[in-house]
Amino acid sequence: MYTKVVHMALFKEEQLDHAAESITRLRSLGISDKDISVISGIPFSEKILDRPMNWTNVGRIGVAGAVLGFITALLLNFGTPFLYPLRVADMPIFFPIPTSIVVTFELVMLGLLISTFIGVFVETISPSYGPQGYHPKVSDGHIAILFSGPMDLDQQFHSTFAELGATLEHDVEEEKLWL
Amino acid sequence: MAAETKLFGKLKTTEQEHKDPKEQLMFDPRPREELNRMVMEMMTTTTRKFWLWAIGLGAGVVVLLFGAWGYMISTGMWVTGLRRPIYWGVFIVTFVFWIGISHAGTFVSAILRVFKSEFRRPFTRAAELMTTFGLAAGALYPLIHLGRVWVFYFMVPYPNARWLWPNFRSPLVWDLLAITTYLLSSTIYLYLPLVPDLAMARDRTTGIRHSAYKILALGWRGTEAEWFRLKKAIQIFAFAIIPVMFSVHTIVSWDFAVSQVAGWHSTIFGPYFIIGAILSGVSAVVTILYVLRSTLKHMDYFLRPEHFDALGKLILVFSMAWAYFFFNDYLLGWYGGEAAVRQILTAHATGPAAWVWYTMLICNIVIPWLTLWNRKIRRTPWLMFIITLLINVGMYLERYTIIPLTLGHQRTPFDWGIYTPRPIEISIVLGTFCLFTFLYLVMSRLIPLVPVWEVQEGQVAHTLRKVGKAEVPSVTELD
Repeated sequence: MYTKVVHMALFKEEQLDHAAESITRLRSLGISDKDISVISGIPFSEKILDRPMNWTNVGRIGVAGAVLGFITALLLNFGTPFLYPLRVADMPIFFPIPTSIVVTFELVMLGLLISTFIGVFVETISPSYGPQGYHPKVSDGHIAILFSGPMDLDQQFHSTFAELGATLEHDVEEEKLWL
Repeated sequence: MAAETKLFGKLKTTEQEHKDPKEQLMFDPRPREELNRMVMEMMTTTTRKFWLWAIGLGAGVVVLLFGAWGYMISTGMWVTGLRRPIYWGVFIVTFVFWIGISHAGTFVSAILRVFKSEFRRPFTRAAELMTTFGLAAGALYPLIHLGRVWVFYFMVPYPNARWLWPNFRSPLVWDLLAITTYLLSSTIYLYLPLVPDLAMARDRTTGIRHSAYKILALGWRGTEAEWFRLKKAIQIFAFAIIPVMFSVHTIVSWDFAVSQVAGWHSTIFGPYFIIGAILSGVSAVVTILYVLRSTLKHMDYFLRPEHFDALGKLILVFSMAWAYFFFNDYLLGWYGGEAAVRQILTAHATGPAAWVWYTMLICNIVIPWLTLWNRKIRRTPWLMFIITLLINVGMYLERYTIIPLTLGHQRTPFDWGIYTPRPIEISIVLGTFCLFTFLYLVMSRLIPLVPVWEVQEGQVAHTLRKVGKAEVPSVTELD
């Protein structure tokens, strides 16, 4: 877990440019991107705040679910007539291709969509790295820059963020926001 | 260009409206704090009238739906009007109606999201909620219609002692699969964009509400990774749920089309049903938006004439598309050469229930075509409420024409019959309308009905740009 002291700079919603600028300045003070985290009330692309690209497994988990759905559909469509043959006129009924497409489609989509959600859920509740912390003002549209850095730069942090019009909080602790 | 009519008071010209972009929600921004406060007030304000409605509708659900259904289960299906030759009556009509209604949530939300239509922002959640509850109401009907509801598990595929498996070639099993898929996915699709707003509610509530929002918000903070993940998932859902939506009503149409029943055995039924579903669904969205705008505090800030205007245009287009498919289906039956089908068409237009057929055409074609071309009418919410309500009456009658009125005139004239729904059926149908409204009413006080973050995102993205000597609205893509 992240143990360093975390600072939080809060920018108002109209100070987006200043928030982006503050990240550049933090970098120039020697704070690396992995020691910076941005929380906001609306999504901003990485390019807007000049942040490294994000990465998620949600898409892959979704595809895995779709494959699982496809296999389930094959078992239902073609497995059950073999396992439990239904004989009509002394001939077993096998599953024709056109009608099996419907069941296959629905189960593939079901697998894709449910596993996408599971992916979001699992990734959301998994421990995240980088500076932790929260402020309710974020849901009021504020942009919070969380970062951790050496204490001897404290004065510089203050002057930087005061110049950019942000309020700075020191020693931000992780809030228990779920369960 | 001057406005066309003065029937509904003093009108503004198009130029005048362009001069005042503040009429549009996206150009009338308010601080996020204020947007949050407005939405929270919507959720927490309950009047005496609200409780009276809630109790009345709750009682309606208990008595009209579950009471009547319980009575029908205990006495048997003879209490309904289902008799030879008509075994599918208002239960199936209402089933198709609700499944149709449920289409617009996805249509309005997913398709408009995919195409980045900005006017969707304030009402996507209201439409998605309609999908979920419409499906919940519709999904009851196969169980109600089953009669012996306790044998429902026969439809569930599992190895049992009698080696009985559902017939996967049957559209009824496809229905089960499609509706389950659609219900689950549309509920998740409702929930995912709700998470940031639940976090907003979490930050502004105490007690039980706070605890509930805390759990449902999944510890949302609004980090870059969380937004990225959420946007990715919403994108996957928006694209994937569209074919699911199309499949559901196509499969519902195949309940009819794959049979040998005259008047049903048609290859055009799939798209015809989908267009009808979207027409009735988008109309129902407008009906609901009017009710929300009239009853919820601050909703008139979020839902404006521009939204009714845009949806009105969509309804007009879908009314025309519906007319096209209806005519296609009618023409093929008419010239198809099958005597039974021609007799059905004649019976629809000249038989004892011809008023149903004509009312359907008036509500689905005449009324929207005569009214919705007019911008002023489209921008008058109460008129849109009446028009869309009438369209849904028309769409209900369309299903009534397709099902009992068609079944009553099949190939053997000695077996023709007229179906009259009995009080128990009418009670159950009214009960599901109460259920839908009750669920919606309760949910309007539990979740933020306006996606605040999406509205704010839109307002941040919209600006007025100077081009030459004019200021023109422009949109920036933030993602």
